[in-house]
Amino acid sequence: MSEREPPSPSSAARALPSFLQTPQAVSAHTHPHSTTRFNVGTCGLDRCGLCDRVIDVGSEWRTFSNEKAQKDPSRVGDAQNPLLNGGDLTTMIGKGTGSASFDEFGNSKYQNRRTMSSSDRAMLHAFKEISTMADRINLPRNIVDRTNNLFKQVYEQKSLKGRANDAIASACLYIACRQEGVPRTFKEICAVSRISKKEIGRCFKLILKALETSVDLITTGDFMSRFCSNLGLPKQVQMAATFIARKAVELDLVPGRSPISVAAAAIYMASQASAEKKTQKEIGDIAGVADVTIRQSYRLIYPRAAELFPPDFKFDTPVDKLPQL
Amino acid sequence: MFTAGAWWLDVTSRFRCVCRTPTLCWRRSLSSKGPSGSSPPPPLHCAPPSWRQSLDFLPDELGGQNEPGFSSTGVLPCSRAVPPETKVPNDGAAGGGSDPVEERPAAPELSQDSGVSLDCSALVSAADRPLQRTPAAELSTAASPFCVMTPMTPMTPMTPVTEGSGIVPQLQNIVSTVTLGCPLDLKFIARQARNAEYNPKRFAAVIMRIREPRTTALIFSSGKMVCTGAKSEEESRLAARKYARVVQKLGFSARFLEFKIQNMVASCDVCFPIRLEGLVLTHQQFSSYEPELFPGLIYRMVKPRIVLLIFVSGKVVLTGAKERAEIYEAFENIYPILKGFRKQ
Repeated sequence: MSEREPPSPSSAARALPSFLQTPQAVSAHTHPHSTTRFNVGTCGLDRCGLCDRVIDVGSEWRTFSNEKAQKDPSRVGDAQNPLLNGGDLTTMIGKGTGSASFDEFGNSKYQNRRTMSSSDRAMLHAFKEISTMADRINLPRNIVDRTNNLFKQVYEQKSLKGRANDAIASACLYIACRQEGVPRTFKEICAVSRISKKEIGRCFKLILKALETSVDLITTGDFMSRFCSNLGLPKQVQMAATFIARKAVELDLVPGRSPISVAAAAIYMASQASAEKKTQKEIGDIAGVADVTIRQSYRLIYPRAAELFPPDFKFDTPVDKLPQL
Repeated sequence: MFTAGAWWLDVTSRFRCVCRTPTLCWRRSLSSKGPSGSSPPPPLHCAPPSWRQSLDFLPDELGGQNEPGFSSTGVLPCSRAVPPETKVPNDGAAGGGSDPVEERPAAPELSQDSGVSLDCSALVSAADRPLQRTPAAELSTAASPFCVMTPMTPMTPMTPVTEGSGIVPQLQNIVSTVTLGCPLDLKFIARQARNAEYNPKRFAAVIMRIREPRTTALIFSSGKMVCTGAKSEEESRLAARKYARVVQKLGFSARFLEFKIQNMVASCDVCFPIRLEGLVLTHQQFSSYEPELFPGLIYRMVKPRIVLLIFVSGKVVLTGAKERAEIYEAFENIYPILKGFRKQ
């Protein structure tokens, strides 16, 4: 609990508190021999005892997002978000609550509560938008974080400055989903965003070029679990549909068709062979594919339907009784 | 001498080429004046060197009148088609003694037609110089049985690394611009000219169409014009001249300045299916393949700067070229890559 007295000759300089030391003094935090003691709030060097204070930038006490949302009594504000905000130290004056905060005309005193760094304002707005979009399709936190990081990188690069931030945010969301291995279709992102599919597609390509990254190609299996559970199909049907789609692509029965269309056709075939039959329209609604497209892809895989089913599949409708469109 | 009113009709026939490669076929005079003295040099692009002398059978109507603005060497000041290394060497030169065959089109300054008025009295053929096109490796698919394809590799003997692909992309569209040099009254033009539409609320230009060559022009009030739809460089230039002529006849002092081809689109078929997924994996930094957005792979070649749309069926569309040679070079570059991703 006691600070070790620095025994070295330059102890006079080091006796000063850390925040008064000259900049070229050794920073205790980054020194390889430092130990951080959070209970004391110090970070000290082992050999010479030079100590520095640690400022905990976490929040003061635990707060839960859905608990007493109005009356969060945190006096130091939210947990700092250093990666994404660049150290936002502005103060915002909140809306007054008592009667003393209003002047005689009913206007609130302290009207100007909007001053914050303008460069961050657009970014914060975009983060909020990303969070809203992700919430609509129940995306996990890791995807949202990745999206925020991508957006920050794109925003700082300024190469896409003229594009609407919402479009860039939507495209970043799409890229993040892809990078996490759980791609969402463009139509799904469109559904939660106000931007058109064309614009999201354009921004997507521009962002890939700006950040010099690439994404993996989508496959039929990426969407099976989501589409099948949205349709309420049991696991066997989902596995059968996955197998059918993969086999169809391997046998090159559907050259040039979008993987989404092939997946939809495979789901249709699997569901029609099982007890839970779904119509093309239902599958088309879930997958975002037109039912004529499902029909086209289905016609391509129908001739070899027998080899496409997994060997252990229990047919409710045998292969030769599958609907022929 | 041509009649002033209908010079373009003669030009049309002038540009008809048996080999279907009007841009690269040399032209001889259409008029009754025969070739000056010696036998005309054969079309260079059509044949390997040893056969050049035997191509006299090509009909006379492949005439070319020297248009104003052409250099005195008789070179048509249009785009140079071919990079120098693919030019057929001059050995075994053609039977024509005077042999302007040897002349290469000079630097691009010849390709600019500056300040030339369309006054037909200037249409004097300087001599019956054959108008020469740079020989390019090109296949003529039509009549001439002697036309063979020559690869883009140099003709000097080398270890044959690759033979050419044997496929020649066909031009589908040429976009060119020309400045008419005077401001125009679009309402007047739209009223007077046939086949012209003008809807200022929708677009600020007159859209004019002609039937031969089948092209469309956007004519702006500043006097600039964009000509689209031609299938070859010559056709594009001819069409642009026709439009300029129309504008001139309507009373404006139109000239034919700074004709430039801005974009060329070509397509071809490699005749085998292609594994686009493999191609996008190996050529990630050039390719973009998003089946949700577009069924074809978009390959942005760096040198030459051409964009290729590659489809599963084996069809390839090349665009972004300013010169024909860029298209051929790009296709020759991509062909071995596509062969490597052939579907078995």
